[in-house]
Amino acid sequence: VAMELWGYRAMGGSCLRPFSCELGPLSRPDGSAAFLQGDTSVLAALYGPAEAKGNRELPERAALEVLLRPKTGLPGVGERSREQLLRRTCEAVVLGRLHPRCAVSVVLQVVADGGSLLSCCLNAACMGLLDAGLPLASLFCGVTCALHPDGSLILDPTTRQEQEARAVLTFAIDSAEKKVLMASTKGACSMEEMQQCIAAAQSAADTIFQFYRDSIRRRYSKS
Amino acid sequence: MKPSPVSNCERRFLLRAIEEGKRLDGRQCYDYRNVRISFGTEYGCCIVELGKTRVLAQVSCELVPPKPSRPTEGILFVNLELSPMAAPGLEPGRQSDLLVKLNRQIERCLRNSRCIDTESLCVVAGEKVWQIRLDMHLLNHDGNIIDAASIAGIVALCHFRRPDVSVQGEEVTVYTPEERDPVPLSIHHMPICVSFAFFQQGTYLLVDPSEREERVMDGLLVIAMNKHQEICTIDSSGGIVLLKNQVLRCSKITAVKVAEITELIQKALENDQKVRKEGGKFGFAESIPNQKITAFKMESAAVDTNNVEEQAEEIITKADPPSEVFANPVLYTPGTAQIGEGIENSWGDFEESEREEAAEEEGEGDATASECQKMEIEGTSIIEETKTDEPILLSDSEEEEVVILQPQELPKKTRAQTNLKQGSTSKKAFIKRRKKKRAAH
Amino acid sequence: MAARGGVAVEERVGQVVLPGDVLVVPAHPDEDGERLRLGAPPAPHTRLLCGPGLRRCDAGLLVTKCGLLRHRQAAGGAYWVDSQQKRYVPIKGDHAIGIVTAKAGDVFKLDVGGSEQASLSYLAFEGATKRNRPNVQVGDLIYGQFVVANKDMEPEMVCVDSSGRSSGMGIIGQDGFLFKVSLGLIRKLLAPKSEIIQELSQLYPFEMVLGMNGRIWVKARTVQQTLIIVNILEACEYMTAEQRKQAFAKLSGN
Repeated sequence: VAMELWGYRAMGGSCLRPFSCELGPLSRPDGSAAFLQGDTSVLAALYGPAEAKGNRELPERAALEVLLRPKTGLPGVGERSREQLLRRTCEAVVLGRLHPRCAVSVVLQVVADGGSLLSCCLNAACMGLLDAGLPLASLFCGVTCALHPDGSLILDPTTRQEQEARAVLTFAIDSAEKKVLMASTKGACSMEEMQQCIAAAQSAADTIFQFYRDSIRRRYSKS
Repeated sequence: MKPSPVSNCERRFLLRAIEEGKRLDGRQCYDYRNVRISFGTEYGCCIVELGKTRVLAQVSCELVPPKPSRPTEGILFVNLELSPMAAPGLEPGRQSDLLVKLNRQIERCLRNSRCIDTESLCVVAGEKVWQIRLDMHLLNHDGNIIDAASIAGIVALCHFRRPDVSVQGEEVTVYTPEERDPVPLSIHHMPICVSFAFFQQGTYLLVDPSEREERVMDGLLVIAMNKHQEICTIDSSGGIVLLKNQVLRCSKITAVKVAEITELIQKALENDQKVRKEGGKFGFAESIPNQKITAFKMESAAVDTNNVEEQAEEIITKADPPSEVFANPVLYTPGTAQIGEGIENSWGDFEESEREEAAEEEGEGDATASECQKMEIEGTSIIEETKTDEPILLSDSEEEEVVILQPQELPKKTRAQTNLKQGSTSKKAFIKRRKKKRAAH
Repeated sequence: MAARGGVAVEERVGQVVLPGDVLVVPAHPDEDGERLRLGAPPAPHTRLLCGPGLRRCDAGLLVTKCGLLRHRQAAGGAYWVDSQQKRYVPIKGDHAIGIVTAKAGDVFKLDVGGSEQASLSYLAFEGATKRNRPNVQVGDLIYGQFVVANKDMEPEMVCVDSSGRSSGMGIIGQDGFLFKVSLGLIRKLLAPKSEIIQELSQLYPFEMVLGMNGRIWVKARTVQQTLIIVNILEACEYMTAEQRKQAFAKLSGN
């Protein structure tokens, strides 16, 4: 672990950990995806568009629900707030008006947390949406940036790097115009630093979207 | 989300196939599905796949005071969750009958069989003991949850390492993994559940039923056994009448299956340990097979972040400078104070439906805001400057009419269009609406 | 980025597209095409169809689903995205297999795998009258066609065509087996002259009903033969033509 840490530092911290993704690992859901970023791993499962339960039904669009399941213990306030962030992000890209009165539920299971968990959740959710074939206006990806006390910027930080960091910022970037769909920050940073993080996240997004595209290409290589 | 119903023809066909000794996936009556075990990078974390049924298990520990009745024993807490991702119809946080039954069975299999030496978990008698918590999540339900969970549970417990502790007098020291190697739990034996599904009032039996077979079965017998052929629990449900030799036959089959599974578990554990020791790659990323076309991997990728500083600089210089902050408080009467002119009250500003729309597209709104300055994060609110000389255009209404107001009348409720590039929540909605306007033209 | 660049739609045909990609449609396809189609009279200007997975946007076509972009030349041309999906969304005119879940007065409720149950009137069978009701039980399978299917209304099915004939629709027999595959595979099977179906038909005689909702009902002479077909079709999901031929060769050898 220490070796890796130094490796990232030496490269100016601008390095994403190895990514892997498996589409449709689960047989029951309408769509599923396992997304791994280094040691962080999230499994996403999607159901829908399905029948909405009673009061959840919305007359002119699909009701989107995101559930985030921690690995140990029961979901708490932290999970709830992340669910909200994830739901808002998904709602921004899902064309819910095409399925009024329906329910779409996204269930995310944390499999391993090795840092940048929220961005991994975002990526898993987007791949899940793709696998389920829900109509989307664009894609989104999650990028976490950590600001080290020495001022350097680390992309896709590990748990250790997150702990050492002065501030940790996570952004959801959309694929169409690379706009920021969601921002969540922890710790203090200046406005310049924040803009730097957004710029870095936007350039990391290119790499991630290319990864999405390659994964999907591979999946459709046989049909 | 409703699960799809079973049709009469499926039911009839499955029963007929069972009568002929055939199963959907080509197995024989006594065949077990493939078991696949993969470990995470952390200790005590594993995923067990039994055919398509998948269970994730994670063990954690914590120092707690012991139960008054057993002051020298550690505590084992077991919890199985049926995650809503596993199948349609499973709701989060609902204690269904199935969940209660499964939890009770797994508790009897792992805790009441005393497979873990709880006395070795005692740190200071009557004061501090280790509580071992085993969390299991069903990720995909394709039948026989209990077997998959019992395998996942015992594998996770065997794989787990707790921090080493030392007691000197009154002082308890817990060592980090760097200081001292974490220690494994002491496990006496490995109980494993094997399920048998009965059809036609017990005439036909199948080992390891799949989800479809479970839906048409009459009764279920679960036997937990360890490799020493000691029965740990037995559970028959569904109200079928079983003969003595049926149960005996099942226990014999269990013994064979348990021996096979135990061997597999030991091999998997040894393999993982070897890889860890040799410093090889381990964790879930390694367990995704490369040849699958649904899987894709990318090596660590470098991202060019050299010009982020310039980009950030550019955005900031391009953006309108934040307006002057009124630092001097204004005192109207004693007991009141005001800084600046306050921001607009958006109450009753637009109709409910519009508000919903604005909230809905907030994500997009966020994006717009990010191009300007994200002032909310800095915690500073922006105070509007109102231009006092010229009349202000308020294109607020949904209709195409333009209202011209004299600024003196409502100086605090107006917004100059030139100042639009400064974010605040109500502002976002405002931008949104302007966009809509333009689209309408 | 390639996505926003707006690639010309012809260039992407047969390739993988992702949501958010913008495909540019040539403004006057006939004028552009004239040079290529030497001598041939320019086709009359017709409407371009924008199929599943595509939506119109300012710049051209916006992709909303991931999959392979397909194109059909006939009648002005049509573009659509061929995607692998599990969840069915009813479409008017589709033939689907439903499971009867309830008998409510004059209608049956059918589970078709969509978000809402479809309704089927007991009069929508060949030869059915108020007196002569079809014998339908809860749990039976029905093969029918959607006459009403849109996002705002309850889907409605019928088991007769416009001339009142059943034309193959109706209650599916009591025997046989029902299983589910992805919607992509179903479309592949239902394609005219589908290779898989042709190869299967050489094995042994069997009956099969394919529903656009991913449900397949199969009945062969024996349980064993039915099971073989079920397993072959389930395995076809991720097999290339090559692999499939090998699998068939193996089976016909047995």
